[in-house]
Amino acid sequence: MEHNLSKHISGKFNQDLENVRNHVLAMGGLVEQQLNSALDAVSSGDSDLAKKVEKDDYKVNAMEVSIDEECTRIIAKRQPAASDLRLVVAIAKTIADLERIGDEVRRIAQVALDSFSKEQQDLLVMIDNMGRLVSKMLHDVLDAFARMDVDAAFKVHKEDAKVNREYEALIRQIMTYMMEDPRSIPKIMALVWSVRSLERIGDRCQNISEYVIYFVKGKDIRHTSQEDIEKDILKM
Amino acid sequence: MITVAPEVKNSTNGLKLDLENLMPEQTALEIKNLDLFYGDKQALSNINMKIPKGQVTAFIGPSGCGKSTLLRCINRMNDLVDICRIEGEIQLHGENIYDKRVDVASLRRNVGMVFQRPNPFPKSIYENVVYGLRLQGIKDKRRLDEVVEKSLRSAAIWDEVKDRLHDSAFGLSGGQQQRLVIARSIAIEPEVLLLDEPTSALDPISTLVIEELIGDLKDKFTVVIVTHNMQQAARVSDQTAFMYMGELIEYSDTNTLFTTPAKKKTEDYITGRYG
Repeated sequence: MEHNLSKHISGKFNQDLENVRNHVLAMGGLVEQQLNSALDAVSSGDSDLAKKVEKDDYKVNAMEVSIDEECTRIIAKRQPAASDLRLVVAIAKTIADLERIGDEVRRIAQVALDSFSKEQQDLLVMIDNMGRLVSKMLHDVLDAFARMDVDAAFKVHKEDAKVNREYEALIRQIMTYMMEDPRSIPKIMALVWSVRSLERIGDRCQNISEYVIYFVKGKDIRHTSQEDIEKDILKM
Repeated sequence: MITVAPEVKNSTNGLKLDLENLMPEQTALEIKNLDLFYGDKQALSNINMKIPKGQVTAFIGPSGCGKSTLLRCINRMNDLVDICRIEGEIQLHGENIYDKRVDVASLRRNVGMVFQRPNPFPKSIYENVVYGLRLQGIKDKRRLDEVVEKSLRSAAIWDEVKDRLHDSAFGLSGGQQQRLVIARSIAIEPEVLLLDEPTSALDPISTLVIEELIGDLKDKFTVVIVTHNMQQAARVSDQTAFMYMGELIEYSDTNTLFTTPAKKKTEDYITGRYG
């Protein structure tokens, strides 16, 4: 089914939906920028940049609140139905995930405030690799959201497995490191949390990809296996 | 109570009836290959649907789509229109209501109807309710009193009128009059109640009262409602049929139709993209 947001009889309703969608994209752009800055700060040990990331998180929070308000207003005034209703619901859920991604990003940025030994730098490089993978996932899912592209969204959905594998490998490596040098554990714990945060961001990108598929196909695919999604939903 | 086969259970939508394969005991009405013409103009084409028992079914669609015409077919109101010609069948209890042997008066006792504008008779509230019973020749005062109280209670208006049953029905507000008319319709205990835009002449509060009432009525009757107000269809009905240019475009359970309609035309209409 084709989804055209600009064909309502009510021009104001069109405008409202278009605006709220643009605001989500702007919020997504900001979160993506925050994530990349945090990764840059960690890999270069730039504590000023890390502090800026922490400070700017309030913008993400404020956008969540204001988009939520817009959604409430649309529901109250327009009683959206069918794809319009699904759009508003998908947006309300997406921004909640984006806000939580913002919180994870703050946690990652904190790593840059510590100083690490030369050996520990190797771990930072690995974290950066995983971070770029997650950042690409976020970028792609926002892109899928902007174009309401189911295939692209499903690609992101599958990408999460890669992030999970990377996460397990990194945690194993970190544990080996801690066993070899128990004195480093307090400092290394910060790295564990940031790796965990990256893994969680991957999960949240996966959630957003599910909302895109929900909007376009009208099917709630949460807790559905990827084989079933591919078989039953994408072919619809 | 309608029993639902396990295979139509759907975890995301709760219980759903399989409208295409309703069992005879679940079906109140079955419309088969119905065509209707006003002179040369075809107003309904090839309507096929089963209306489940004890549920509320709504017909929605733009003006002139045939939804009121279809509703009127169900108690043969269109017989009164000279140029109207009908082909196909509507079955009540497995019998075609358009069969020559069918007595229209008794059909209408089984299939009551309430119109857009409240139309109480110029009589007292009491006499309005018992009108159908008097026509049937029932004179027993106690029986009539009982029916008046029961019908007015079912129509959620008893408390408002119990102290002035013998006042003129014209003294009631629009919303009260409409509930009185509903009480009059259900006094003769029809099986099916047809409501043709029952709240379009009422204020929002009276509308909500009537909507609440429709929810209660389905315990005893099968309700079919035509409404221009889509939110009303979404609120009160279990099934919704979307009609367009005399055709039945989509007929499914209300939750599905208003969240994930299958047809593009339905989607466009309910999201306000029609036109």
